[in-house]
Amino acid sequence: MIKIQHIYKRYRSVHALEDLNLEIPQGAIYGLIGPNGAGKTTLLRILGALIPPTAGQVWFDNEEITQSPAAIQRKVGYMPDFFGVYPDLTSAEYLEFYAGIHGISRSKRPSTIADLLELVDLTSKRDALVETLSRGMKQRLCLARALIHDPDVLLLDEPASGFDTRARMEFRELLRTLQGMGKTIVISSHILLELAEMCSDIAIIRAGQLLMAGDVEHVTHNLSGGPRIELRVLERAADARQLLKDMPEISTIMDENDVGEVIKVGFTGDDQALYRILAALMAHDIPVVSFAPHRTIDRLEEVYMSITEGVSSL
Amino acid sequence: MTFTALLAKELRSHLRRERFVWVIIIYLLIMGLLGFGYLQRQNAFSPGYQSYVLSQIGAQLYALLSLVQLFLIVFIAPAFTSTAINGEKERQTFDLLLCSKLSAFSLLAGKLIAGLVNVLLLIAASIPLFSLVFFFGGVAPTQILSTIVVFVMTAIVAATFSLFCSTILHRPTVSTAVAYTFCVLWMFSYWIVYFLIGSPLLSNSRLSVWIQWLNVSNPISALNSIVSGIQAGAVSFSLFRLPFAPWVAFTLVCLMLTIVFFLLSIVFVKPNPLGRFLSWLRFLDKKFRPSTL
Repeated sequence: MIKIQHIYKRYRSVHALEDLNLEIPQGAIYGLIGPNGAGKTTLLRILGALIPPTAGQVWFDNEEITQSPAAIQRKVGYMPDFFGVYPDLTSAEYLEFYAGIHGISRSKRPSTIADLLELVDLTSKRDALVETLSRGMKQRLCLARALIHDPDVLLLDEPASGFDTRARMEFRELLRTLQGMGKTIVISSHILLELAEMCSDIAIIRAGQLLMAGDVEHVTHNLSGGPRIELRVLERAADARQLLKDMPEISTIMDENDVGEVIKVGFTGDDQALYRILAALMAHDIPVVSFAPHRTIDRLEEVYMSITEGVSSL
Repeated sequence: MTFTALLAKELRSHLRRERFVWVIIIYLLIMGLLGFGYLQRQNAFSPGYQSYVLSQIGAQLYALLSLVQLFLIVFIAPAFTSTAINGEKERQTFDLLLCSKLSAFSLLAGKLIAGLVNVLLLIAASIPLFSLVFFFGGVAPTQILSTIVVFVMTAIVAATFSLFCSTILHRPTVSTAVAYTFCVLWMFSYWIVYFLIGSPLLSNSRLSVWIQWLNVSNPISALNSIVSGIQAGAVSFSLFRLPFAPWVAFTLVCLMLTIVFFLLSIVFVKPNPLGRFLSWLRFLDKKFRPSTL
């Protein structure tokens, strides 16, 4: 378990992190979400014992990070948001170099490298120069590099940026495999849907402050008030609103006094509840032309945009 | 083990670059053409020269090639180390090195030795050219050995200072510029100061001590003392009240400079030097605190 307690980080007049508290459970895939400049990379660098916090404490089980940074670094595999590769080396030589500087014995290196290349599906590129690899391959090679010393915790800074859909899905599977191996993964990204699908828990950070943290459903539900249905009727919008208002499955009606044909409601329940709502509308001969339920997770992007409004670093 | 991994990686990276082959070719071409031009000018290839004239030509050829080699070393050594650390930061690979078991010493020693190996390769590649001198004679084997020592020490100081620059300066272009400025000043400082101050002021004993130190630490002076045949016991420098041949005194000064720049680099290469120093003190305090039991 990683405990972050009252962390502050200041770079001269810039407050990168402000009184941040977080608990990252062991074996979790923990997502850090925030706009550019929110402090995600700073937090990951502190967790990797690469920079000390200005104030506060970070505990890895019973070890405080500033007291034993070298011990923490042995437990942590860090993958920065930039590739950080040496183009003149082959994939195997690149991994061999990092195996060497992590103190892995010469006899163990070939098998470790072969296993890692297989894990990230780069066995066929073993002898290819790093500069000839595609962006996605370089990312996977960097992940293999972060795993070279078999760390307990993986810190991945924007690892999926630049991935195409297929590469992203493969990467997600890879993360699940690593989670299955008992590793705790902390991952930052601004591609929210992807992160919500990958992670078991998320924390939303804005301007160095923690807005909300917890499991994905809990966070998005708290922020958005649960899933929503957006429907459009040809006519009798007022009747439709009145009918929906009386149904137990409907939690809220947005824009209640509106008379427009588009009706947005919050609801609680499963697919059966959705069917009952639709069946009731049809039974009352209300001409529904579209009926679009949005799961909580689908609305994450929208929620995220609303809470981080005006803080983009652009 | 971590040190050898870094060294192997550095050498692989350097030697695979096409640029390195061209550096050797151009290096040998410059030396060879200058030597050949000098011999042509002296008509050294015409028959009928007496042996003492030939030995003079040999000594002068040796002096010329040595001076050219010295300038080439000072020009090339910083190129291999002046971006060694900040280049890693610019490539964003430095954090990855920090996350490893690589100590500050291993990191710097690996980078320094990798840079020096490249320079030593150039010096080794030039040995066949220097052997031309033996056709003419006039140069003693001890002179050749002491010249190689001066070359190596010059390369070590230039490379270590450049490494120090790459440690404390963030931009590779700035560190390269500072390293070359230092090398130029180092090579010519003695003459610059001599001409700026002028001979009347040199009679001031305090100033003359500093001038002597500048002279001792100057690679051209050390090389000049070798090629003009000054050995220990003849004209010597007094360093810490002990007489040394100029090239020996130069070697000692270079060793001191190397140690100072290398230690400073160790202090500054990893972030938070003060914090690391304090945690080191805490560690010592914990280790040597008398038991309360």
